[in-house]
Parts: sequence; structure tokens; C-alpha cells
Amino acid sequence: MRFRAVPLLLLTLSLGAAASFAATVKLLNVSYDPTRELYQDFNAAFAKAWKAKTGQDVEIQQSHGGSGKQARSVVDGLEADVVTLALSYDIDAIANAGVLPKNWQTRLPNNSAPYTSTIVFLVRKGNPKKIKDWDDLVKPGVQVITPNPKTSGGARWNYLAAWGYALRKYGNDPAKAKDFVQRLFKNVPILDTGARGSTVTFVERGIGDVLLAWENEALLAVREIGKGQFQIVAPSLSILAEPTVTVVDKFANKHKTAALAKAYLDYLYTPEGQEIAARHYYRPRNQAVAAKYAQQFPQVQLFTIDQMFGGWPKAQKEHFADGAVFDQITGAGR
Amino acid sequence: MNPFRGWWLGALLLGLTVVSPLRAWQEAPPVDETQEPAQPTLEEKVEELDQKVRILQRQDELEKEAAAEKAKTATGVTSGRDGFSFKSNDGAYVLKLRGYVQLDGRFYSGDDERPATDTFILRRVRPIFEGTVFKIFDFRIMPDFGGGTTVLQDAYIDARFSPKIKIRAGKFKPPVGLERLQSGTDILFVERGFPTSLLPNRDLGVQLFGDLAGGNVSWAAGVFNGVVDGGSGDLDGNDGKDYAARLFFQPFLADNGSWKGLGFGVAAITGDQQGTLTSTGLAAYRTPGQQTFFSYRSDGTAAGTVIADGERFRLTPQAHLYRGPFGLLTEYAISRQEVRRGTVAAELENTALQVTASWVFGGEPTYRAVSPKKPFDREAGTWGAFEVAARYNRLELDDDTFPLFANPASAAEAAEAWSLGLNWYLNRNVRIYLDYERTTFEGGAATGDREDESVLFSRFQISF
Repeated sequence: MRFRAVPLLLLTLSLGAAASFAATVKLLNVSYDPTRELYQDFNAAFAKAWKAKTGQDVEIQQSHGGSGKQARSVVDGLEADVVTLALSYDIDAIANAGVLPKNWQTRLPNNSAPYTSTIVFLVRKGNPKKIKDWDDLVKPGVQVITPNPKTSGGARWNYLAAWGYALRKYGNDPAKAKDFVQRLFKNVPILDTGARGSTVTFVERGIGDVLLAWENEALLAVREIGKGQFQIVAPSLSILAEPTVTVVDKFANKHKTAALAKAYLDYLYTPEGQEIAARHYYRPRNQAVAAKYAQQFPQVQLFTIDQMFGGWPKAQKEHFADGAVFDQITGAGR
Repeated sequence: MNPFRGWWLGALLLGLTVVSPLRAWQEAPPVDETQEPAQPTLEEKVEELDQKVRILQRQDELEKEAAAEKAKTATGVTSGRDGFSFKSNDGAYVLKLRGYVQLDGRFYSGDDERPATDTFILRRVRPIFEGTVFKIFDFRIMPDFGGGTTVLQDAYIDARFSPKIKIRAGKFKPPVGLERLQSGTDILFVERGFPTSLLPNRDLGVQLFGDLAGGNVSWAAGVFNGVVDGGSGDLDGNDGKDYAARLFFQPFLADNGSWKGLGFGVAAITGDQQGTLTSTGLAAYRTPGQQTFFSYRSDGTAAGTVIADGERFRLTPQAHLYRGPFGLLTEYAISRQEVRRGTVAAELENTALQVTASWVFGGEPTYRAVSPKKPFDREAGTWGAFEVAARYNRLELDDDTFPLFANPASAAEAAEAWSLGLNWYLNRNVRIYLDYERTTFEGGAATGDREDESVLFSRFQISF
């Protein structure tokens, strides 16, 4: 080769290739409203574990909002690597858009629900309206705070918990259950789009007598946000809420983060991940961790959505689809 | 619990009138008329009113939040660091106004034998009009008023059928030189290196291009009028056309990992070009200080003027690496041209190489731009990003060029330059350059070598 500087080119290329400066891999977790604090802690722990295991730095970005709204954002193109949403139906909606397989729920243990929660009542200190159970929420003059089931996964759990109680009380009479839930929603002065918004309405804005809340959100309010100002009332019956998680295959593959995303979700099932969930007042699946934190969770008789409603698709269609029961009882869409 | 209670006592009557009918389903239950209804106390009424006012305030707050959220995704007029944009509601039509201005200072030292003028110059003044029509058709128009002249640099239309296949037609950069394909706002030094001098600048033509494997492989192929080394053209002087192709690999781009900034590839452009006495089809080459150090013989006669006469072939292997704060760009170029002077013909091959390396403090380099982590802000005590850079580049003329096709007393046989640069990125839009370039020559003088060139460059650049 006649050009004498070509060896310099090759040498420099080699030196450049040898230069190694660790860069950060990014992962986007699109989650629902009240999981901010949980995933802040979890992300830090996972990043540390991943770094120790692989030497790779990982930066996990979080996005939070009403579960249904978040699912729509992913369907509309928000390139989440993983979703950790309030209910499986919202992830089904993403699967229907073709960005992840329809059997996604079989890919992780416990139907891809690494932790559970339930719906409880948060009332003001001293429980001035003497609220003890669902019946008290339909009394005139009681203001109930809950988000909008159209946009919030937590709100759908709230609604179905109330409906399930009414069905049990009235001998599985759907008409009476409908009347019961209708009376309950007549006592709702504001419908926030997400659970965290409802917490703000109740805790910070001082509106309402009772907040229907995720158990973890209620415990957070009692023990940390509004210490000494609130107390939890456990109803006689509530629903077993199973927030679900999965990798969004299309976007994770596009970002080449599929393995990292899977490891991220797998870490939720490890004792470390379960411990973090329990510390943030989510009920862990791991028996040992659950036993360790049993004291912090009130004893509530729980039913599942499959038992009472035949699963999420059926419940969604009958209650939350446009023109379905929720629209009928609130007069929406008229 | 209620700091406004005293105030509300005064507003009680008015408030009850205004807010009581707001929600039908909040109305009181039917009253048993056989019983005397319990009258609420004043305190209870105040409490009720307080709740209603809080509800109204919260509803107002939620409406504002919803409006703000909607505004985030609403289409319309936007402005920001990437310019100004007008967008139709469905996103199918977009007009973007962008542009950049570069004020350079060139200060020569030791230019006794070949005096050069120290000067400030508006190197580039380029308003950019970009847009989209019918969703998939993009256009770009970019004139340049730099140096006191007006040149149409870019004017083309793209049709985006898919990320894998797009068509571009108009005047634009042929897909050849790595550094040439970088925007003039993103190059590391004030002036590009010698390999760019051997490769086309802008030309008229049509190209197909696209990205494969999620952007890991870029390809392009096109046909162009054909321009001289380092040149641009608006009109062809002969029937011959140049055919260009480029393949560029960034195997870890989609990975978004630490090697995402690695890219390498090769490009070539070839065609038959026929020069004339008035338009020779051959280029002169300039130093980094923009002084001509090589040109072919030309006296206006067929016997004394060298013209392009046949195949022209240019090839350029190229690579870059951006990893953490480190950046590396290297490019080698071969320009082979059949030429003729009178009855004597020859094939001449000129070559050039450049290797640049850089290190950024307070930001991360990419092929496209450096984005400071913390923009310059005196009050916040942040300084933007700084970049130190060094470059080696060299251009060699074919030995057979001399003396028949070029005068060895005035045209150098080779030029070799070392450059040191300091760049200050105040933010994404404002950048200040300070470069020192020293170029040495082989030949190019009546006796010995042409005088070395030492230039201090400065540039103040704003782009949006």
C-alpha cells in the first residue's frame, strides 16, 4: 500500500476499539399510579445486583399514571421495556395490540403477579363517620373518594370489591348489587384519573370521609404521608388484587433489552425483591417474607376476580366497557 | 382542619346558593315528612360548605392538570432547542424552521512567503426549511449566505415508504464521505479534514436509502450528475453520470449499550467524466486555512490545460467510535481520475487520511452532536460541556502528476496537518471553537518545500 499513514489508521482504530468506558443501558418501566416509591427502591436494588452480576450499569426509567391510561400509552407507541400494571386486563389490551404474546401471563410464576394487595378503607383519625364496612359507604352524607374505573386499575378493583360484597350480601342478586354500587358512587364527589390522585384528594386536599384505596397506598398514608391523621378500616370482605407484570417483547427486542427486562422482572420474585415489595406494603408471594411481614397487613376475607366475576375479560365487558354497568349507574355517555 | 372557617362563615349564604345544585346525586335523600327533620348545626353547615368548596377547587385543579396533559400531546406550534415547528392536528403536515450561523476568525502566523489575510468571516449562514406533506413526503431547503455569496446547498424531497426503503431526489450530499455527511454544525474542527477534499460535497441526483436490522445497517445507492473532488454542482457539463453506494454498519446501535457508538463502513462513487478547457472537471486542493496548495496546470490552451478524460473512481473506508466521553473518527479516501493534457493521458490516484480523537467533559459525544449534561448557567454555576480534540490528516498527490500535469514549483506533492481543538458547548444550540492547525508540505515551492501554514481558528456558532 503506497500510503504510509495507513498503518497509523489501523493502529488508531485498534486503540479506539480497546478503549473501554462503561456506558449505561436504559430500561423503561411503565407502571400504575401508586408504585412510584416501590419501584424507586426496587430499581436501585436491581441496578446494584445487575451491576454486580454483569458489570453493566443500568438506568431504569419509571412512568406512572392510571393503569388503563398507561396501557393505552403503550398501545399508542410508548416504548416500554416492561409494564407493571394494576391488573391483567390492561396488559391484555397491550397484547391485543400485538406488541407482546397473548400468553404473557404464563411466562412468570403466580400468573405474572409477583405481589398482591387488596382494597381497604382509609378514614380520618377517630373515624368520625363511624365507617366499618361497605354498607356505611352508601349512607347519605358520607363522601367516598375513589378514582375513575375508566382510567384507573385501582378504581376497578374498588368497584368490583364493592360489587362482590353486595352480591354476597344480597344472595348473588345482580340488580341489588347494581343498586348498591350506584348508591355508593352517588357518594363520590370527584373521580380522579388514578389512585395517587385520589390519595391527594383525600389526604392533602381534605376532601371526603373515606378513601377506597389499595392497601399499600392506605398503609403508606397512615404510616408515612399523614402520620397520625388517618386510620385504616378493613372491610369484612374485599378482593384479592393481583397487579401483573411482563416484558413488552416488541420494544424490548427493539432496544435489545429483552434479557435485561426479563432479569428485572425475575428479580421481583427473589427474596430481595419480595422484601422490597413487603416494605412498601404489598403482600409478598414468598411465604417466608409474607410471614415476616404478616403483622402489618390487616386480616381481610378475600375473594378473587375469577371466583366472583369469571375473570377480567368478562368483568371488563360487563362493567367497564362503554355503555356497560358503570356507565349506566353514573349516567356517563347519555 | 379548616383554616378558612372564619371567612366562610361570612360567605355561607352565598356559597350555599352557588354550590348546592352542582351534583344531582349529592342531593339529600327523601325526607320522612312524618318526622321533624333534624336541623344541622351551624358548624355542620360550615363543614358541609367547606367540603363543597374544596371539591370545586379540586375539580378545577384536575381540569387544569388534564388541560396541561392534553397540551403536552397537542399538535400545533412548538418551539424549542430544535427550532420552530408548525404541525397539523393529525401530524401529516409539518413545517420546521431551523438554521445556523457560524462566525469564524482565521489568524495566520509565519506567513511571510505566502501572506494570508487574517479575517473574520461568516463561514455559514444557513436558514433551513424542513417539512412533511401527506405523512411520508419530507422536504428540505437550505440556502447559504456565508462568505457574502448565496448558494443553494440543499433542496430535496424524501419519500419514506418504510424505514428500510426511502427515496431522495434533488440536491444533497451523495452518500460517500463520513465527515461530509456530518452536519456542518457537528464537525469536530472548524474545517473538515483532507479526505473530505477528495470526496463529493453536494450534487444533484436520486438515491435509494434505508436502515436495516433496526438501524444497525444503513445502505444507500444513487446516481448523480457528478462533481469534482470536494465540489458541489448545480448543472452537469457532460453526459456522464456518477454512481454512488454506501454501506455502513453500527452493529450495537439498537442495543443502546456501551458500544452503540461504533460504526464502520465503506462507500464508493464512480463514473465517466469529460472536462473541457473552461470546465476541466478537476479540482484544486486547499489547506485547512483555505489556501490553495495544489492545482492542475491550466493556461486556457489544449496543450497546456489538464482536463478530466474518462473514469473517475473514489473509494472511502470509514469508521467512528463514540464510547463514554471518548470519540474517534477516521476516514481514508482514494480518488482516481483519468486525465489528459493535450495528447498525453494518464490515470492519477490521490489519497488522503484523517484520524481524529476527542474527549468530552460534561457531556457525551455522538456522531451527530454533543449534548451537555448541564447547560451553561451562571446562576446555577454550570458550564456546559468542554471537548478537547486532536487530528492528524494528510493528502498525497500521485507521483505521476509532476511535472507534466502540475507545476512542482507551485503545487505541493503532499500536505500533512496536525490540529488541536477546544470546543465549548454552552448548550445544545451554542458552541465556541478554538483550533490550531499546522500544515507542512512536500514540494510546492521553486526550491524545497512550501512554507508551513499555521492558523488559529475561532468560531462562534449558534444553531437551532
